Amino acid sequence: MAQHAQYSDKESVPPASRGKASRQEASRVFALAMALPMAVWQCVFFVAALAFLAVMAFWSVQNFRVVPDFTFANWVKMFSAGYFQQTYLRTFGYGAMAAAISSVLAFPCAYGIAFKLPRQAQRLVVACLIIPYFTSYLVRTFAWKILLTDNGVINAVLGWVGLGPFSMMSNLFAVMIGYLTLIFPIVILLQYFSLANIDRRLIEAAHNLRCGAFSTVFRVVIPSAKIGLILAATFAFILSFGDFVSPSFLGNNKPPTLSILMVDAVKSGSQWPRAAVVALSMIATLVAVAFLAMSTAYSREGRR
Amino acid sequence: MNITGPRGRSFITRRRLMQGGAAAFGLAATSRAWAQSDDKVVSLLSWPGHGAQDVIGDFAKSTGLKVQAKEYTGGEEMMALLQSSPPGTYDVVLSDAEYVSQLQAAGLIDELNPSDYPLDDYWPQFQQFPANFVDGKLHGIMVSFGFLGLVYNSAVLSREEVESYAILSSEKVKGKVGMYDWYLPNMMCLSLAEGNRPPHDIDAAKFDTLKKGLFDLAPQMSGIGAWSSVFSQLTNKESLVMPGVGAWAALLLEQGGVPIKSIVPKEGGLQWTEMLTIAASSKRKDAAVRLVQYLTSPEGQIREATKSAYWASMPNKKAWALLNEKNPKAAERLEHQLDKRNVMDEYKDGKIFVRDVPKQQPIEDWNEAWTEFKNM
Amino acid sequence: MRAAGLVTWILRAYVCLALLFVFAPIITSFIYSFDASRYAAFPWGGFSTQWYGEALADPAVASSFRNTVIVALLSASLATAIGFAAAYTDYRYKFFGKNAYLALALLPPTIPAIILGLAMLVFLSRVSLSGGLHSIIISHVVYAIPFAMALVRLRLSQMPADLEAVAWNLGAGQWLTLRSVILPFTLPAILAALFLTMAVSFDEYAIAWFVSGFSETLPVHILILLQREVSPKVNVIGSVAFIISMTLIVVAQIILFARAPAKTRGRSFKTGS
Repeated sequence: MAQHAQYSDKESVPPASRGKASRQEASRVFALAMALPMAVWQCVFFVAALAFLAVMAFWSVQNFRVVPDFTFANWVKMFSAGYFQQTYLRTFGYGAMAAAISSVLAFPCAYGIAFKLPRQAQRLVVACLIIPYFTSYLVRTFAWKILLTDNGVINAVLGWVGLGPFSMMSNLFAVMIGYLTLIFPIVILLQYFSLANIDRRLIEAAHNLRCGAFSTVFRVVIPSAKIGLILAATFAFILSFGDFVSPSFLGNNKPPTLSILMVDAVKSGSQWPRAAVVALSMIATLVAVAFLAMSTAYSREGRR
Repeated sequence: MNITGPRGRSFITRRRLMQGGAAAFGLAATSRAWAQSDDKVVSLLSWPGHGAQDVIGDFAKSTGLKVQAKEYTGGEEMMALLQSSPPGTYDVVLSDAEYVSQLQAAGLIDELNPSDYPLDDYWPQFQQFPANFVDGKLHGIMVSFGFLGLVYNSAVLSREEVESYAILSSEKVKGKVGMYDWYLPNMMCLSLAEGNRPPHDIDAAKFDTLKKGLFDLAPQMSGIGAWSSVFSQLTNKESLVMPGVGAWAALLLEQGGVPIKSIVPKEGGLQWTEMLTIAASSKRKDAAVRLVQYLTSPEGQIREATKSAYWASMPNKKAWALLNEKNPKAAERLEHQLDKRNVMDEYKDGKIFVRDVPKQQPIEDWNEAWTEFKNM
Repeated sequence: MRAAGLVTWILRAYVCLALLFVFAPIITSFIYSFDASRYAAFPWGGFSTQWYGEALADPAVASSFRNTVIVALLSASLATAIGFAAAYTDYRYKFFGKNAYLALALLPPTIPAIILGLAMLVFLSRVSLSGGLHSIIISHVVYAIPFAMALVRLRLSQMPADLEAVAWNLGAGQWLTLRSVILPFTLPAILAALFLTMAVSFDEYAIAWFVSGFSETLPVHILILLQREVSPKVNVIGSVAFIISMTLIVVAQIILFARAPAKTRGRSFKTGS
């Protein structure tokens, strides 16, 4: 319960409510000055852009030029195309797979950092996990290519012990490696932060009650860190679902994902409206997934 | 006690709001100003590499003009970029020959003055190259060309094995066939393999056969990558053979020590042809003409022929002489030696078809088949 | 106890393994930036600084680097300022439509960058704002506000509840309180937000790719290089950019640690129970 109280009982009384009219006026101005910039910026540029994208999904293309129109043709075309349906399912599957793999692989690591390392080392590891985000994801993807190809570094090393060569490029494995490059550190970090916030006394209590190490993890640690774990998995899904680089450069476009399909629609015929249809389907999916995840994370039922 | 009076406060507030509100437009104005302050610019829309230093470095130095380039990797992408950019964005458009008439029809390019360009120095076949003209009027100048057929790893496959497109479906290269992600060269080569002559002018039944042939290749494929993946897939032996590719990639790879060769199979090959055109909406037409003049001159041509993005054959005969003099090695590799069998002889053999867009189906149908294929 | 010790060491080894995975591409890229051969393979083609020479002499690299710095600095400052104000709004006020307000603030990063890029391009070109550095800055601010806001909000939630009230009771107006109480308290978060948003902008390629026109940023230049050719220059640019940003981080850390020591240490902000 402790974490909850921090946020909600914070409504102190602003000074203006105790003052004169001019003060109230000034206080209003103050409030608006704080609240408006973000609202204005995001409405003018973000909401408007998305709204325009939604409008454009009903336009048509003539001779490589987008012209205003009101037609459902783009929607019908995309939703009835076998390749769109397959690609949609595939991309969703990829995202879910990346979220699952990264969560499972990250957990022992986050756990190890939070509970098995001294403070100083924890800080160092956290810093090391942030560092990748200061390097280019594109460059890291390019480097994976050097490592993964048939005559790449990894196959050479495996060759010394008489294994391989394994085909590790242009397939699902390569795409997953790419996704993990993008999401693994952030998943570990998010999991770590939620694990580190667990009240140690809870764990001690579990131990005192003769709860074994493993069942402590599953019955105390994971439920307590539930929000962070779900948040991490959701992040992983969102980032991989929309990623273009890994399926394109490591997966070599075959089979494509939705983001590739979207770019292709533009490249292969100036089909901005169809790209908009793909984009809107992706947004709808992401919003649904995020909403579902958050309502699961904050559901009361898990807490006892 | 209130330290800041209401007036002072609202002043701050107004200032802050104004700052916030004006920020975007201020930024826009500034960055516009930066862009426009530079009048000595000529902008180019082209395939990769034409705007790179190794091609236009000397041009920039001698004229003081800065070339800014935007790149595309397929004819439809070029059309899309042109049609979705504000008029005046591009001055020179390097287009594949088969799209020049579309550009002209859409009113995107200007008619050119033949006397501005060294057409007389060109090989006779290219002086009257059909795609140069729309309705008998000059609209584009050929800048480079090359042949497409198969490229293959010569350490694994012998020349005999790749004399026919049949190699693509052989067990030996299962999972090792690569393609470059553009329907046109790939499907046209496969159309040649089906015996369609010319490969782009086929009826519905033949188009269905072609689609089936393409789809049958799905299990053979290793990847359908971006432009660069042609190089990387062949280098790492992810792909042993690729259709729709030619000397442009093989020569560069060979020079880098990778055993890759190109061949025009017995069923025939394609010619890709790049044209320079001048955008109708260009506001810097003088600069545009100068850039086109440079790239079609012998000096510009030899830069184009051996550029780091891909190698190309040159239509300008005087450029051949210059290349043989300055870089005989490259001339030999490009088969540009005037006294030996060279690419122009290959041209005469009749195996080469000038690549064109589909004639009996909308481009979209071919693209759709390609999308389906990638999805397999 | 034995078993527990073993588990500890296994987990520690696993942490190292995870770090190895994370750093493998970074190290590889660094090593292969010195590879003499153009087409990277194993083993190395020999040591060479040829690609450094080529990359650093390339005017396109220089101008795209300049663009990246301009975009990162401007978009980070704007996003942090706006994000700060929004975080304070969320912290201080309760109002009708607050959920919508928060959704507006936090939504952009859940939209894949490539979609945001597509949307931004079609929209900005309609209102004649596309094709320049300003287009990238506008989009990056949209994308980065949530990060700045989240960091500042987190810090605000650690602020003693009565700190602001004390200032008001002492007669300070809201602006003065903001300047003399809130800003100093959230300064670490503000600096962190600046760095984070700068990092976000520095590595963002998808949106910039769509909206930049001729004004390439470094990540866009890398993306184009990746699509265009197989060039070890990518490794060089990556390594140099990495070294620059790491230097900045270390310098920032030193400055922060030199400033901050006594202020934040050992304070507990637990409220309620």
